[in-house]
Amino acid sequence: MFMAALILILSTGLFFFYLQAVCQKILRRQFSQEFFQSIVNANRLEFPSVRKAIEDFGSPVEYPRLTLTLKCDFLALTYLLKNAANVNQRYSYEERLLIVYFKLMFASLVTRHWLKLRETPAALKLTAILEYFANVVGERVNTVRFGNLTASDYLLNL
Amino acid sequence: MTDQILIHGLQYGIYVLEGALCLLLAKQGAWRSRLGFCVYVTLLFVLDGVARPAVLDHFGRTSMQFAYFYWLTDVALAMGAFLLTCGFFRRACAREEKLWRFVRLLLIFVFVLVVAISALSLTRHYTQLYTVFIVEFSQNLYFSCLVLNTLLFVMIQQFAIEDDELGLLVCGMGLQFAGEAAGLALLHLTSGGDFARELFSFLNPICTLGMLITWIYAVTKTPQSVPVDSLAGKQTALAEAVLE
Repeated sequence: MFMAALILILSTGLFFFYLQAVCQKILRRQFSQEFFQSIVNANRLEFPSVRKAIEDFGSPVEYPRLTLTLKCDFLALTYLLKNAANVNQRYSYEERLLIVYFKLMFASLVTRHWLKLRETPAALKLTAILEYFANVVGERVNTVRFGNLTASDYLLNL
Repeated sequence: MTDQILIHGLQYGIYVLEGALCLLLAKQGAWRSRLGFCVYVTLLFVLDGVARPAVLDHFGRTSMQFAYFYWLTDVALAMGAFLLTCGFFRRACAREEKLWRFVRLLLIFVFVLVVAISALSLTRHYTQLYTVFIVEFSQNLYFSCLVLNTLLFVMIQQFAIEDDELGLLVCGMGLQFAGEAAGLALLHLTSGGDFARELFSFLNPICTLGMLITWIYAVTKTPQSVPVDSLAGKQTALAEAVLE
């Protein structure tokens, strides 16, 4: 009985650990270039400044602003993921998984704030997810062709 | 009624993914470098995707024959999963022969330990071979696979083994083992209670689906470093300048 209870507790914990590991592995994907920067500039997203604040000062900006910024960026990027240069107009499996992961990490950020624990690791993970989304959108936009032009060529010819 | 439809949907999803993974591996070739993985995927497809539905169709869901076949194939799959974990350890230790010798001894020890613990349980419940012994043997084997898999994951991180495909395959295995071991443990704790049985019937296919999706992702989209295209980089930089 004791053995079964121990197995149940450990297995449940490890299940969530592996789920997180899969998400982290997906986030490690290397893109051929930093596509996210153009998407950030074009849509005035704020997550890079949040990350810079954390890296420079060791702590995020004030909590209400942090949550609002991350939530707004998340909404903008998930909309773009679904609608910008996406022929099928639906998320892929890994995007769905990362959306769930973002929501769980966001819940973790809120919980950490309530419990007065360090919010920095959760905030950094959230910005990493947003950067991945922005890279995916940027990569798609970069490969879309307007006639014989890529999106970049098109912009250059404006 | 809705539960049954959902379970059937999940089950058919698994069959489709098992077949798709087999086809993908066959299409990609590279059977030699992934021998253990290919054999396990084929075994999974043959036993879970072909043999079980055939026996179910022939004998019916409530028959003893199907129950025996299900649990016996579960033991075979658990053994296959254990051997696959050993194969992943071999792949991770490809450049560390000394470490592999130690790991090989550890794997043999773990298997003997699992058989011994399960045999101890058999001496207490020798009349209930299929209901207690097989469930406990599978639970112990899946849990030891889970522990070994976690050790392998830690080893990959510790030795900084740059094999992203292996990392993802190990994560997929971990998802399956953790769900399966937790479900079986709950089944054992509640002595096969209705709630545990119902939860297990959902949990098991969901974990298998998770594993198969992760494996397909690993085989098709393993993250690889791509050299930066200087021309494309310049174009994007110019595009950014225009946007600003």
